[in-house]
Amino acid sequence: MKNPRKFIIQKFTEYYRDNANKIPLPTSYKKREFGFILSDKGIMLRHKAFSEPRFFRDFIKLITPSDVYHSAAYYKHPSREMGKKEWIGADLIFDIDFDHISTPCTEEHEYWTCELCDQAGVGKQPSVCSQCGGSKFKMVAWLCETCLETAKSEALKLIEFLVNDFGFPPQDVEVCFSGHRGYHIHVERDEIKQLDQDARKEIVDYVQGTGLKVSLHGLMPVSRKTGQKIIGPDLNDPGWSGKIARGVYDIIVTYNLQQLKEINGINKNIASLIFLQREKILKTWNTGNPWGSIKGIGIKTWEKLVEISVVNQAVSIDTVVTIDIHRLIRMPLTLHGKTGLKVVSIPSKSLERFDPLRDAVAFNEGTLKVYILAAHRFRIGKEIYGPYERETVKLPMAAAIYLLCKRAALLTD
Amino acid sequence: MLVSKEDFAKYPFIIGAVDYVKRLDLKTDELSQPEFSAIVTRAEARIEEALLDGIIKWESRLGYDIELLSYPVAIIFVSNIADNYLKKRYALAESKRIQALLKEDVDEKLTEIAISIFGWKVKRLPLEIYQPFDFSLSFIDYLRNAPNFHDFRWKLVNKHLINGEVFLQKDEFSRLISEEVRKHIENTINTSPKVELNPLLLQRIEHIKQRLNIRKERIRIKEQPRNIISAAYPPCIKNLYDYLISGQHISHVGRFTLTSFLLNAGMKIEKLIKLYTPISDFNQRLTRYQVEHIAGVRGSGTKYTPPSCETLKTHRLCPGPDELCSRIKHPLAYYRRKIRMIKK
Repeated sequence: MKNPRKFIIQKFTEYYRDNANKIPLPTSYKKREFGFILSDKGIMLRHKAFSEPRFFRDFIKLITPSDVYHSAAYYKHPSREMGKKEWIGADLIFDIDFDHISTPCTEEHEYWTCELCDQAGVGKQPSVCSQCGGSKFKMVAWLCETCLETAKSEALKLIEFLVNDFGFPPQDVEVCFSGHRGYHIHVERDEIKQLDQDARKEIVDYVQGTGLKVSLHGLMPVSRKTGQKIIGPDLNDPGWSGKIARGVYDIIVTYNLQQLKEINGINKNIASLIFLQREKILKTWNTGNPWGSIKGIGIKTWEKLVEISVVNQAVSIDTVVTIDIHRLIRMPLTLHGKTGLKVVSIPSKSLERFDPLRDAVAFNEGTLKVYILAAHRFRIGKEIYGPYERETVKLPMAAAIYLLCKRAALLTD
Repeated sequence: MLVSKEDFAKYPFIIGAVDYVKRLDLKTDELSQPEFSAIVTRAEARIEEALLDGIIKWESRLGYDIELLSYPVAIIFVSNIADNYLKKRYALAESKRIQALLKEDVDEKLTEIAISIFGWKVKRLPLEIYQPFDFSLSFIDYLRNAPNFHDFRWKLVNKHLINGEVFLQKDEFSRLISEEVRKHIENTINTSPKVELNPLLLQRIEHIKQRLNIRKERIRIKEQPRNIISAAYPPCIKNLYDYLISGQHISHVGRFTLTSFLLNAGMKIEKLIKLYTPISDFNQRLTRYQVEHIAGVRGSGTKYTPPSCETLKTHRLCPGPDELCSRIKHPLAYYRRKIRMIKK
């Protein structure tokens, strides 16, 4: 069987031949560093800089990289080695990737490939490879609709944080589908460029709800003449205070008795009390003080509910990416070497309607016959394919390239 | 608004005050003349108060001129002594004086300092509507200084953040300004030109140096112990260590934390590399490179220390603090303190 790698490179070359001129360069591109993963060797070529867009475009046409990046940072000398670049500033970036989000479907898309031969399979990795007897495997992330949806809703949550809490104009918040497992969010504004790592860490903690102290958001017992009373934040409060209140409200509205009882740290009798008094609590939320409305629901119980509400309202991001002020990020309209899908920039307004498995397809033409080692069900465009095991199938180009990139299929002669 | 001599004396770093001093055109040579001795004495007292009390008093009894002029003289002295500890301690003590004054001053003066000296975006809030808040400050300017404060109430996540603005009470805003002032003063000291001082002033400086040495002797930090005592590991390191020896996956940041911690605790590179052997994706050459890099043997030559507790929490590597954790901010501080406790 033919080497799929050569074939992938050939298709990527065609893509860049036809599309390189449409790839927009980032603002102030002369001050940014560019990086490329070389298709044939799989190694990273860094510290490149371009003085004109056409030089960049000629370059990718020439080398056909499997992945293309630029720095979120601006440098005086972007092509020098790291210590001599002279950092000027950096955009604020976020990476939402389902590596960092736990979804219930993980087991449905486990996939392995053998490191020594071309064997692959769905599910948990075997202890030895049935083909070559090797015992080293690579776990491969399969594109999963549930995961992609989760990542998208996390991205939407993050945009809300950035617009409402941080006050960034929506048009300055750029969202990109990464071409694989998630979204990148990119804020480009002069005033944030100088933020140091400590400041960026505070922003990370804010969107993740890390270090949140509920008493500092107003939930606390206060002494009154009539005895102790609990007070707390209001649904309409800004920032985290309101999020906490709305999150607890959601729990009371949506959790059934069983779910309430399963909350670790809440006594079963109190769970029943919350459930039975639900109407009364919800009513006081509009009129008075819900936190003090029911005798028997104490501060510890509310704190537990807040804890869950914080987890629900927070965004899971790759913390390292945002804090790292030298990070490289993928460029829109370049290809992702692990899928053959393209990176797509999406206006934040349109994110809800964005379908990565349709809108990020790069290879729309032709079909290809491949021998599939094993594949979970997957969708590209409107069609759903698979599952497959050890069979030769004629697939539309995008689906075939996806499997080849994942090392799940081989070329037939 | 900030035009009176009293304001200049209170806030000698503001442009008006600096200009006023410049216009007097005093020469350092003149300082040893008797009519200036009150100024020089007050300058020396400022530094002494910084060393002993950590805060400089607001001394208006001697007159605003002396209070104001003693500030640049003190800066000249501190810069001349060129001791990092003294520089930091002095700037901090001045900033504490200023914080106390700001808290009591009228709101407009706070905003004027923030806006005209530091270029911050800040608004005064009408009291009736925004109680208990007095100011709203752009989160960008807030984050210039708040991350330096370790109390939870300074974390952005615990603040009211609306449309890019952080809502603050007056004492909080005063603290943020005074922290910026501290950096400003440190910078002033570090960039102030070296001046030749005459013998009389040098004598004063000698006196300050003696005080400084006494102070430094008292705070000298004990050297780290040589043997590694695993019973003194903080919970985060214990966790990572257990993961490592049981062959479980550790994130990149986790590995960095564990490696830099163990190196700083005195573990030898060879022993560390051996420790990493059970990991499934173990690659001896790469591991050696990474460990040596963190140890500062390779690459930039920087020897790394593990991240602070704050940072570990951000990366979800803090398994939840124990009792001792609540009193420290860094895993190595935990380790040193725990060893002392064990040895007792």
